[in-house]
Amino acid sequence: MAVLLIQMKLAVLRHSMTGRRAAQMITGALTGLALAGGLIVLAGRDHPIASLPFDLLGVGFALWTAGWLLGPALFGGGDETLRPEHFSLLSFTPRRLAVGLAGAAFVGVAPLVTLVAFSALVVVAVKAGFGAAATTVGVAAVALQLVVCVLASRLVTAVLGQVMRSKAGAALAALVSAAILAALHSSWVLSPLAQAALRTGFPAPFSAWVAALPSGWGLVAVRAAGQGQWPTVATALAGLAGLGVACWYGWAALLKRRLTTRRASGRPVRVASGRWATGPVTAVAARELRTWSRDLLRFHYLVFALCYALVFCLLPLAIGAPILLPWTGALFALWVAAVSANLYGEDGTELWGKMMIPGAARHDVRGRQLAWLLVTAPPTLALTVAAVALTGEFGLWPWLTALVPALLGGGAGVTVLVSVLRPVPMTDPHRRSGNLLENGTDFAQVLMVLILTAATAAPAFFAVRLGPAWAGPVVGLAGGLALAWLLGRLAATRLESSAPELLLHLRTGVSPRRRRPAPALDLARPHLPKPDLGVEKLGLMLAPAGRRAYVVASLTLCWVLLVAQGIVPALMLTTGQVTRSWFLALHLPQHLQWPTIIAMITLGLVLLTTGLGIGLYYLAKSRRAGIAPADGP
Amino acid sequence: MGPSSREAALRLAALTKTFGRRTVVDHIDLEVPRGSFFGLVGPNGAGKTTSLSMAVGLLRPDGGRAEIFGLDVWADPARAKQLIGVLPDGLSMPERLTGRELLRFTGLLRGMDVEEVERRADELLEVLELDQAERTLVMAYSTGMRKKIGLATALLHAPRLLVLDEPLEAVDPVSAATIKVILKRFVRAGGSVVFSSHVMAVVEQLCDHVAVIASGRVVASGPLEAVRAGRSLEERFVSLVGGQVPEMGELAWLSS
Ligand SMILES: Nc1ncnc2c1ncn2[C@@H]1O[C@H](COP(=O)(O)OP(=O)(O)O)[C@@H](O)[C@H]1O
Ligand SMILES: [Mg+2]
Repeated sequence: MAVLLIQMKLAVLRHSMTGRRAAQMITGALTGLALAGGLIVLAGRDHPIASLPFDLLGVGFALWTAGWLLGPALFGGGDETLRPEHFSLLSFTPRRLAVGLAGAAFVGVAPLVTLVAFSALVVVAVKAGFGAAATTVGVAAVALQLVVCVLASRLVTAVLGQVMRSKAGAALAALVSAAILAALHSSWVLSPLAQAALRTGFPAPFSAWVAALPSGWGLVAVRAAGQGQWPTVATALAGLAGLGVACWYGWAALLKRRLTTRRASGRPVRVASGRWATGPVTAVAARELRTWSRDLLRFHYLVFALCYALVFCLLPLAIGAPILLPWTGALFALWVAAVSANLYGEDGTELWGKMMIPGAARHDVRGRQLAWLLVTAPPTLALTVAAVALTGEFGLWPWLTALVPALLGGGAGVTVLVSVLRPVPMTDPHRRSGNLLENGTDFAQVLMVLILTAATAAPAFFAVRLGPAWAGPVVGLAGGLALAWLLGRLAATRLESSAPELLLHLRTGVSPRRRRPAPALDLARPHLPKPDLGVEKLGLMLAPAGRRAYVVASLTLCWVLLVAQGIVPALMLTTGQVTRSWFLALHLPQHLQWPTIIAMITLGLVLLTTGLGIGLYYLAKSRRAGIAPADGP
Repeated sequence: MGPSSREAALRLAALTKTFGRRTVVDHIDLEVPRGSFFGLVGPNGAGKTTSLSMAVGLLRPDGGRAEIFGLDVWADPARAKQLIGVLPDGLSMPERLTGRELLRFTGLLRGMDVEEVERRADELLEVLELDQAERTLVMAYSTGMRKKIGLATALLHAPRLLVLDEPLEAVDPVSAATIKVILKRFVRAGGSVVFSSHVMAVVEQLCDHVAVIASGRVVASGPLEAVRAGRSLEERFVSLVGGQVPEMGELAWLSS
């Protein structure tokens, strides 16, 4: 059975080795081999500290395994060369089918490359001079690690396949993208750490974590074999084997489910009573709260904001700098604002219903603000209080009590105003596919709202800095309330006067402000033009190569200057908690510190605004080009 | 206070809309007498949806007037919109609510009393046979259910005029029958209905008044019998819109 399936898979692979597929496969294989070669070189090199190659390999194996686990879910489908459904009519038991398919799963380029990468384990054992026994243990561990990797990948992909279109999937996708983005934005934290580690070895807790992950068990076994601790060797190898078997069992069970059950559609929802909604504004707020929890995209955004704030603020703890921790709540509020400033765009043509109700515009805006605060404020306050209690930074109270209310009020105002003034038309909710990646986020809008919302906290900031102790909290609270009221009012007035134009914009994807003929509406086409992922989505394919590079580089670099070399050292100086690390300004003489920080922030802002400006110009251009009628009037 | 009793339920005067260089609705004049069941027929792309959107205040006209019981929709939207219930075609609803929540929150947004909203919602859901779908989001509704919950939202505030765009398009026969019964009852109780369709049989079956529009113009309008002029509506429609009823004898080889 297994042999048969392996032969089938080989046949399929052979037949697909043509043209682009083959080119892709070869490129992938070469990239993978280069990375695997890197690991082997790492294992075979001389290191100043004996434990260093093991820790480095541990990190390498962990990342490699993570790639196996998450890659298929993030980058599409996984290996479905042989689909279990093809065999469901033949009289195999699901278990025999699982054995066969598991065998076939080891045939392919990726497992082969992984085998090369993991063989670094043998190299490191030889290099360390652990002897023949340890080398044999290494060979066994390589095989077991490969088995675990491939089977766990199957299991995780199968699980994700079941949950990806659900809230759990939305949350997971948010978690991963937030972690990657936040880690990139604060990777400055890790670079001094990595440099130090390469010289003096990794800190013990880090090594312990790396070894505790299943991807590190092979290394544990080899090291223990070198030191003659055979019980540890046996435990580690048995652990790997057990994990492999468990993964296979889990996968077989899911396979059986996949073959025997059909997906139900229109799952019943949990219905809350909503008794507290008794008037127009509370009714809108109740409707919005349901949207936040039931709409995959909104839920995704919310989890994203939370994960981003947590990762971004917790990561500096790695260099022992809790400097950002008290600001976790504020950052969360800022990000919720940034990702929820397209309220009308997300609801799509539903706007017509409010237009038919006299006076609904004002209630709708106020209700959305109320819901935004109900969603954002409790976690913000909880995160802030918890972080302050944990770090004991009670001296920050003037700052926090000023900035947090200011940000919450500002966010409640900016989100509705931007939603009305600059909607990004999206496919109507009931016509969207479950795939979150298809509903592209408008990064320009996210950035714009981040900056605008942060700017709303400026009065509170200056009140704390320049005024007496009571000024900050008072200005923060009053300013927040005033902005929420004022911006909400502007949004409502605007919505009242231009709702028909907004509806047309949402329906056709064309802004009515543009003084040019509207394109013919294709009534047979249920979707708005979908943004493509990547450069095309950013509209950059129209830009000349130089400008494209500038936009990408400036939008990437500006964060380093603005946040890492500007805001963070500024925070450190204001709070007196100085960790020099790689912050340029803090290494300079005292009288140069603030000027340097201000220069960094200015430079960062210049890069940000120019990059954004050029990017937006081409985005607008590509939108126009993308929407222009093919046939003309 | 109320609209004067002689005014038409809906009057469109020289209503015009141009998209780009294309005039999609070209000076349409139309009068829907109060208490009438009015069918607006025309081929796809004739401009029915565009006209009705302008008539109820969803799309700003380039010229002309739309009056509901004598109230100008674009000059006095608040009072005019109180009197109409609208079911548009192809627009979304608050999709992440269940049918009951949709009715409840819509009623509250209209400023209605909680008890009154709940009473009416109960009745509407029961009459429209939607009360089984208590825990299903509107998003997951079938086409027939979507039209029914849309009709319920349009009826919730007891309007005097219903403006429905293709209310029976792609609806299953059972749901269609329910919708027809409710519309007939609404007219019998003194309400007025305008609805658009490109299915002649339905219009002939339900309406007492019709208007035929083609390429953005009204080509015929009045009581059903007058417009029909002794023929079936379908034949009359084809002759008005410009097609030809195929003569027998063509494709004779088909009848073996
Ligand atoms: N927003 C728009 N932009 C450009 N053309 C439009 C727009 N809306 C409608 N049209 C065009 O106007 C014509 C009439 O459309 P519509 O009123 O929807 O027709 P009907 O409802 O009678 O089928 C169609 O040809 C359509 O393509
Ligand atoms: Mg239409």
